[in-house]
Amino acid sequence: MHSSDNVTARARLGRLMNALLRRVLLSDSFVLFLAVAYFLVLWVFVPRLGSARNLSNLSSNIWPLFVLVIGQMFVLIIGGIDLSQTSIMAIASVCGALLMTSGLDPALFARNPLWGVLISEQGGPLAGSVAAVPIGILAMLAIGALIGLANGVAVAKCRMPPFMVTLVSMFFFSGLAIFITRSENVTNLPAGFLAIGQSYIGHVPAGRSSVGLMPYSFFAGVALASIAWFVLGRTIAGRWFYAVGMNRRAAAVSGVPTDRVIVFAYTISGFCAALGSVLYSSRLGAGRPTLGANVLLDVIGAAVIGGISLYGGKGKVRWAFYGVLFFVVLDSSLYMLNLRFYTVNIVKGVVILMAALLDVLRNRARMDRTPTASMELA
Amino acid sequence: MTVKALLRIVALLGAFGVVAGTLSCSRRGPEEGQLTICFAFQDLETEFWVAGHKAITETLREKGIRVLERNANQDANRQLEQVRDAIAQDVDGIIIIPQDGESAVTIVGEANRAGIPIAVFNRPPSDRSNPALVVVADNERIAEGAVTYMAKVAREKRQHRRRKPLIVVGDLGDRNAVARRRGFFNVIERSPDLFETPIEVPSKWDPATTLANLEAALQANPDVDFLFTSSDFLYPQIRAVLKPLGKWKRIGEPGHVILGGLDGDSTAYRLMEEGYVDATGVQDLFFEAHAIMDALLEAIRTGQRAPEEWIEDPGFALTQENMAERAQDMWGYQVLCKP
Repeated sequence: MHSSDNVTARARLGRLMNALLRRVLLSDSFVLFLAVAYFLVLWVFVPRLGSARNLSNLSSNIWPLFVLVIGQMFVLIIGGIDLSQTSIMAIASVCGALLMTSGLDPALFARNPLWGVLISEQGGPLAGSVAAVPIGILAMLAIGALIGLANGVAVAKCRMPPFMVTLVSMFFFSGLAIFITRSENVTNLPAGFLAIGQSYIGHVPAGRSSVGLMPYSFFAGVALASIAWFVLGRTIAGRWFYAVGMNRRAAAVSGVPTDRVIVFAYTISGFCAALGSVLYSSRLGAGRPTLGANVLLDVIGAAVIGGISLYGGKGKVRWAFYGVLFFVVLDSSLYMLNLRFYTVNIVKGVVILMAALLDVLRNRARMDRTPTASMELA
Repeated sequence: MTVKALLRIVALLGAFGVVAGTLSCSRRGPEEGQLTICFAFQDLETEFWVAGHKAITETLREKGIRVLERNANQDANRQLEQVRDAIAQDVDGIIIIPQDGESAVTIVGEANRAGIPIAVFNRPPSDRSNPALVVVADNERIAEGAVTYMAKVAREKRQHRRRKPLIVVGDLGDRNAVARRRGFFNVIERSPDLFETPIEVPSKWDPATTLANLEAALQANPDVDFLFTSSDFLYPQIRAVLKPLGKWKRIGEPGHVILGGLDGDSTAYRLMEEGYVDATGVQDLFFEAHAIMDALLEAIRTGQRAPEEWIEDPGFALTQENMAERAQDMWGYQVLCKP
């Protein structure tokens, strides 16, 4: 009698564990669990992974990338892609910096087409002004939004393929950023601007010095994420994004203003790229014509890892965050493991591939479980 | 079946973490009292950087120092993140080859705030606001030396018309490129009777950009007969452009373009030996590598957290005239001749 009770209890426990495991594996937060588990496993072997300084680094690295991924997410949800985010970063970076800079070296800038017109040895038109930082940032954001708007109009109204439109934008604005600066980085930016990327709220001691707890970029990331979450999850317009991504024609027939939704998505992406540009430029202390040249694959990689579909119709703000978190933790851990530099990229590629494969299998499992639940809303 | 597959992948990821962690602990942990130095470089795209990387890492390891290598793939933001990661690992010192002078200032500032001595190899910060150990060649003087010899050759082979000079300019965000350009112009501007206004071809230190820009420049100015490259690693692109135009000629052959560069790599040595190149400015790579390592190790030994010293490599110009005596001082020659 006792042994049969034991068997039943064990079977029940097994079923429970199985159900729990299935729940975790198919959970919306699976990538978060994966990132946390990965971090904890490695922490045992590499205690410095959890040091105050490394956590501060992770926190500082997450938010600028998160801002870019949120923008890309809007475009991915409607079934598009925005390759021009990197060039928007570059052009916004140099334009904002040229407006705000308080001094330029004539040896480097005298041959610049804007020399004597907009810029001089004394800097840009806003040099020394108290309004330099807010106006400079607004100009950067406006440039990003306008380029995004132009991309959106080309995709929606001219029915051009998003890949082609944003590829052309990427080439054009990358080239323009180099042209207007003649490849020079723009330095001597106001201290208030630099503080955005280099300052923290709260400090804790770490070794010989102290480290910051919460970078200013955190607030930009959280504010943007909150707005994006509200728009996607709590408004009709948010549902339109998913509808367009799942089936543009069906959405149009249902009365969704598809063209406006597409234009809006690309405008948001451009705006987010410009905001990312503010964070990265202030972090690096210069307006850089090559800013973001290598960041596109990180953006798309993090989005895909988070589970945002490249085919459209699927994506959530928190998935974007989980993807960025996993990506940044992975990146940091590989350096902490002190792998040789050429093995880091190989391992990173393999892990991203496995994560993407995992996402495919999870989706398949989820579809098997609930065949009708194919539409993912925020 | 799908859940099983998921479990397998999760297990695989976990196994990766365990194996990587174990390896990290068993193989790469520093021994008691062992120094750890982070060597962060922007990329290894030229022979100069490859040789510098080899000299630094091998020498440090021979001294029993643990070296953490970080390659930023020409991304200033990535290099900043890599250096921050290294600081989080409590390294004893940092050597960087920065992407450019501006990012060097930011990265040096990070190390200063963490109290870790930092050394900048060959590509100096754009200003001295943050203290660092810096080794840099006197690029202006070296370039001037090489171009002076080229001008001398031009004067000896004086033609009925003035020479049309062209300079392949480096990334002007890099102080080295600015100084090399200045060295070139110092010589050209001293001899207006000999030279027309020079043509400047931007390279951004990128072979593909150089090829495209140089092709365009020579299409527009086919009479170029005096060419200086700000770095020797661009010779393959220069040859690719000059050869189809019938301008890739040895010294003494009709149509020879007076050719010079700066760095002192093995390609430049070979081309000088074959008689295509007239002169090249040579940086003393091995002096620079050893000087920066010695300065950093001394700073670590004496407990300096933000040491400041700018070490200058005077370099020299290797010309067809002094080649027999001075070729062995050229690092490219040494790389070529070492087994």
